[in-house]
Amino acid sequence: MVEFLSYGFVQRGLLAGSLVAAACALLGVFLVLKRLSLIGDGMSHVCLTGVAVALLTSTSPVYMSIPVVAVASLGIMKLAKKFKIYGDAAIGIISAAGLSVGLLLTALAGGFNTDLLGYLFGSILTVTRGETILCALLLLIVAGGIFLFYRLLVATCFDESFACTRGVPVRIVDTGLVLVTSVAVVLSFKVVGIFLISALIIIPPVTALLISRTFKQVLWLAAGFGVLSVWIGIYISFIFNIPSGAAIILINLFFLFAGYLLSKGVPRG
Amino acid sequence: MPVVITAKNISFAYVRMPVLENISFTVEAGDYIGLIGPNGGGKTTLLKVLLGLEKGRGEIQLFGTALEKFTDWNKIGYLAQKSPVAQSRFPIAAEEVVLMGLPGRGARVGRNELKEVYAAMRQTRTRQYAGRIFNDLSIGQQQRVLLARALVSKPELLILDEPSTALDVESREMFFDLLAQLNTKYHTTILLITHDTGEVGKHISKFMYVDKKLVFFGTREEFCHSPAVAKQLGPFAQHTIDHLHNQHGHCPLGASCKECHHG
Repeated sequence: MVEFLSYGFVQRGLLAGSLVAAACALLGVFLVLKRLSLIGDGMSHVCLTGVAVALLTSTSPVYMSIPVVAVASLGIMKLAKKFKIYGDAAIGIISAAGLSVGLLLTALAGGFNTDLLGYLFGSILTVTRGETILCALLLLIVAGGIFLFYRLLVATCFDESFACTRGVPVRIVDTGLVLVTSVAVVLSFKVVGIFLISALIIIPPVTALLISRTFKQVLWLAAGFGVLSVWIGIYISFIFNIPSGAAIILINLFFLFAGYLLSKGVPRG
Repeated sequence: MPVVITAKNISFAYVRMPVLENISFTVEAGDYIGLIGPNGGGKTTLLKVLLGLEKGRGEIQLFGTALEKFTDWNKIGYLAQKSPVAQSRFPIAAEEVVLMGLPGRGARVGRNELKEVYAAMRQTRTRQYAGRIFNDLSIGQQQRVLLARALVSKPELLILDEPSTALDVESREMFFDLLAQLNTKYHTTILLITHDTGEVGKHISKFMYVDKKLVFFGTREEFCHSPAVAKQLGPFAQHTIDHLHNQHGHCPLGASCKECHHG
């Protein structure tokens, strides 16, 4: 264990992974309760477009993907509003568009290569110092935003109509939530890979919702499960030489199962 | 009397199907208005348009300010027809639900805020549920908690959409007594959608009958004692008037009814 922690790239991977997992889990609580949890899945597919553009132009995939995914997330909201369709349909449309454009650009860039596969399946141990700082900033923004606007966020999740009648700017809250999520999604693809990002947003909050008795408890537990899964997942992947992204998500699924069993015995109220 | 709501030529349509057509009216401070009409007549939509939850055509002013510029939402308490469709796993305590009615934004809850929350919960006899998870309460208990949320900011205008449907007899009596007390003691203006005209009719000062159009808006005496109005309004209104008269010809408005008193 000591040897495992002595490597600089492992330390940076653990730190960045913990920061981004906590941010994803905190955002996920609100997205799950607003029934927008699949937005992470849609955005992750759009990431492929950002990564492909970066590979074509030899720029940083992370910094290139942030604006691409942010615009796509706003597109999802606009599409749902403009055509009066449900959010899941809008997510499906943008997700398919992002994936197809990404595949097209990938083909133009010379097809799948090692770099791209790293982004698809995660390469947490290649996280740079700048990306780690970005992850810390993200968590700071997410945690600070929740602390400052806690009641507004809870009110819009619980009863959007009533929140509107209290003068809560529901559209602005939703837009802020979705934009921050788009940054979290981009920063997550090195941790678990494009294919598994949505799991980091959905599974820890659902596990926390199963066993919590208060909303604040949900937030703490979701972040805790997210961080713990990264630590155990990376350790297991290091020991058994398996993909870290898959290990992290499998640990999350184990927590979910344990949470389900525990929820049977948790008194509510 | 100061004007609380001014609505001019309100129209609303769902995908070219008109729901409200050219509705205009004025609500004055202290009014207790029963908004009635057949199912699908547009009552709920009218309330949503008044609160800006649906975007209709026409002009709306709340407390003298155009709806688009209105910011003083603490003056308004709103209770919707249905309990919020929160997920069954939404772990929020009843007291936190009531807290949503106060203007605070952050995670910290002040001692005074909690005092106000518990006072509102006592008013609706839900103080004992304060720590319970909202979704674990019965629908009737939830409705009373939501009423406390509507009352916690001590609103000058209460807008209620069929609030008594899920309540048992005792809770319904408590509910309407509380509304009457708020109206008479604190001069709270009430706009209430109800089909429960028999019980609540004795407290209502004006009736508004909406069936896509504003068919009738006047005092309860005008509504109860005008056969011409009943004829004009059709079977639903006739049924409502019969209900108001307990179907025995006795005016439920009792001694307070000016027409019966003078007749």
